[in-house]
Amino acid sequence: MLVPIPFYLIITIKGVVNLNVSKKGNKLSLISALLIGASAALIVVSMFFPWWRMLFIAPQYPEGLNIIVYPNKLEGQIDIINGLNHYIGMANFSEENFPELGYLIYIVGGLAALTLITALLRNKKVLYGLIGIFMIGGAAGIWDLYSALKRYGSNLDPKAPIHMDPFVPPIIGENTVANFITHSILGTGVYFVIAAFILLLIPLWKDRKVK
Amino acid sequence: MKKWVPIASGLLAGFAAATISFADFSSNAKTTETASSSNKSDAEKVYVPFGKKDDYYLFASGGHSGQMFIYGVPSMRQIRTVPVFSQDSATGYGFDEHSKKMMGDYTWGDLHHPAFSETNGDYDGKYMFATDVGNSRAAVMDLKTFTVKDILNVPNTSGPHCAAFVTENTEYMFLPTRFAVPLGQAYESLDDYSTKYRGVMSAVTFDEKNTKLNIAYQVALPPWSYDLSDAGKKSSKDWAVMTTYNTEEATTNLEINASQADRDFIVLFNWKELEKMVKDGQYEDVGGQKMIYPEKQKGGIYLVPVAKSPHGVDVTPDGKYFIASGKLAPSMTVFSFEKAFKAIENKDFAGERNGIPIINYKSVMEREVNPENALGPLHTQFDDKGMAYTTMFISSEIVKWDPKTGKTLDRVPVQYSPGHSVAAEGDTVSPDGHWLVALNKIAKDSYLSVGPSHPESMQLIDISGKMKVIQSSPVNPEPHYAQMIKADKIKAINVYPKDENNKEAVYKKDEAKIVRNGNKVDVYGIAMRSKFIFDAKAKRPDVIEVNEGDEVTIHLTNLDFDEDITHGFAINSYNLNMEVQPGQTNTMKFTAKKAGTYPIYCTNFCSALHQEMTGYFLVKPKQ
Repeated sequence: MLVPIPFYLIITIKGVVNLNVSKKGNKLSLISALLIGASAALIVVSMFFPWWRMLFIAPQYPEGLNIIVYPNKLEGQIDIINGLNHYIGMANFSEENFPELGYLIYIVGGLAALTLITALLRNKKVLYGLIGIFMIGGAAGIWDLYSALKRYGSNLDPKAPIHMDPFVPPIIGENTVANFITHSILGTGVYFVIAAFILLLIPLWKDRKVK
Repeated sequence: MKKWVPIASGLLAGFAAATISFADFSSNAKTTETASSSNKSDAEKVYVPFGKKDDYYLFASGGHSGQMFIYGVPSMRQIRTVPVFSQDSATGYGFDEHSKKMMGDYTWGDLHHPAFSETNGDYDGKYMFATDVGNSRAAVMDLKTFTVKDILNVPNTSGPHCAAFVTENTEYMFLPTRFAVPLGQAYESLDDYSTKYRGVMSAVTFDEKNTKLNIAYQVALPPWSYDLSDAGKKSSKDWAVMTTYNTEEATTNLEINASQADRDFIVLFNWKELEKMVKDGQYEDVGGQKMIYPEKQKGGIYLVPVAKSPHGVDVTPDGKYFIASGKLAPSMTVFSFEKAFKAIENKDFAGERNGIPIINYKSVMEREVNPENALGPLHTQFDDKGMAYTTMFISSEIVKWDPKTGKTLDRVPVQYSPGHSVAAEGDTVSPDGHWLVALNKIAKDSYLSVGPSHPESMQLIDISGKMKVIQSSPVNPEPHYAQMIKADKIKAINVYPKDENNKEAVYKKDEAKIVRNGNKVDVYGIAMRSKFIFDAKAKRPDVIEVNEGDEVTIHLTNLDFDEDITHGFAINSYNLNMEVQPGQTNTMKFTAKKAGTYPIYCTNFCSALHQEMTGYFLVKPKQ
């Protein structure tokens, strides 16, 4: 998720400006505001859960090995996976190799704050802006993950003992690499974010203009 | 008449009838389980398919192999051999620094009687103790790793056959000796046997925090042979019993000369009292050991006459009785602790022997049990109902009997000549029943022939109903006794955890280094799939180069924190090999006596590129 920080600042300022020029037709109902508030809470909750994980299963590892991605850390049997991946010349997974893990948590936190502000402002236009940020952020996140998977799967050390053609593991779904079958799975955190996003959409329908 | 009365009573009656017909009144689910297990064929009872595990661990003593054999029950599959008193190149035991130091100059041992650590008289699954009759040692194995942590050399004694047995909360492990020797094993003429020789018993304590064995005190018992023993339980928990033979004090041809007296003794002692005597200074210093002389420091030790040359003595699960097995007398004798306590209180003695009071046999004996034609009773185990199972060495069978009535309940032939047997948790305060394993001394024609000598044999007996031998398993020499523990009591670890305080460990491969200081070379290396790194910054990180005569210390850390990814480390032609288990740091020390070029390789198959996991040990010749 490489959404530039300045972008947020502009949006926030825009929100404040909107507050000053808000008209009655743009005012969201209290229930909508509460839903948006709940959305902010879900985003906060999502930070404590894994967002994505890759499960590696092999004949020798029936219990499976995991790379579990949180917004701010990696968990799972990373060392073992790295140890095995070196046979095909794959670079090491580590928190240092993912600078995103250093600031992603602040972006998510910022998003939660923006959502909360939106709830307080109860302004439809700000909500549109927020939904826009959500969509851009989501797209950026998917692109970031895809590029990481591509980076790891394509830049294999040509001197590795086992030669493999470059590959890109899917963001969701199954892939086979040598004796391993990998399963890419969305984590609980992402489901919280999706739920948060849906909560943002409901007010649009609820406070639609009735003609 | 009220209409609801017949309707209500009809419903009630119907409900009651249905309850009686269909409800399950069985008190617990176990009954159903046992019932269904009795419907299984013998093959089904012992078959443990892949994905399932055995219900019990069996720890069988390895006798003069010096090892411990770990089996699974009911499959009777051998899972692991754990070296205890003997070198074992497969695990590097006796080669790496820790085990080499523990072994001292000894290369073999004779592991006789294993004993689990206990809490409240029940196995707690934390430690296993064992004694070495060959070289008078005691050892403790940590059951988190199934590796030996400490070995204790026991002075003034020779061959602690009559051990190990632990008290109810592992306060002590007692090591009475099989051979009497002069104190300090000094030279003394055998003509002075009765005056100069002693059968010393050692009280060993276990310091769990430092995993160290220590001798608390010793007792200079008469120069007899002490054969087997058991600690009291519950009401008798402060007491212990052991059998003797050669109270004749014969010094030659024991087969004949130690079998003359009609009666030998059971030594009955109160270890709490002995502990207090030591605390009060009632002992003499013998080469740094606190020695109690029973004829001088009176109290706490008594003799109970028993039919000649008994072997086993076993305390019933309720702690009320101890049962001596006759060996040369065809009977088991049940003694009452309560009666013994009363006799001691009333000084109901029939004189003394070597300064130790002898309790009147009639005052303490509960009953003599003599199953028809059962010969050579050696050792007794118990089931969940308190029933006794005694091995008959000569008539080659297991006899089940009731200690409370003496009635024989069942018997089953075994092939051949059982020494001990072991029941599921069969020497604790709460035996499990169901399984008993006969530890047979002679396999003879049981298995495919491997020449004139054969392995020993362990036979699994289902004791949940009528006793039946359902499996037979060969075992290397030679189980003397075993312990069977419920599998879920043992909490083994999968990998060694990182120990950041360990200065010999290297947890980052870039930090592997070789430190040279004069003629000392210290290697802080790592092993990982599939390479060694001894010096991360060197042109060839997997090479160790030293000068002839250098003192070389190699600390090797296995960086694969992955279950069962064990690496080996061997130097060709240097007679060196050790293993490093996942996450473990192990050390090897030696002098580079031979100049030349010696390949290094991983001996424990670790990965597809295990064969490539090599390096070189280069020794520059002296100028």
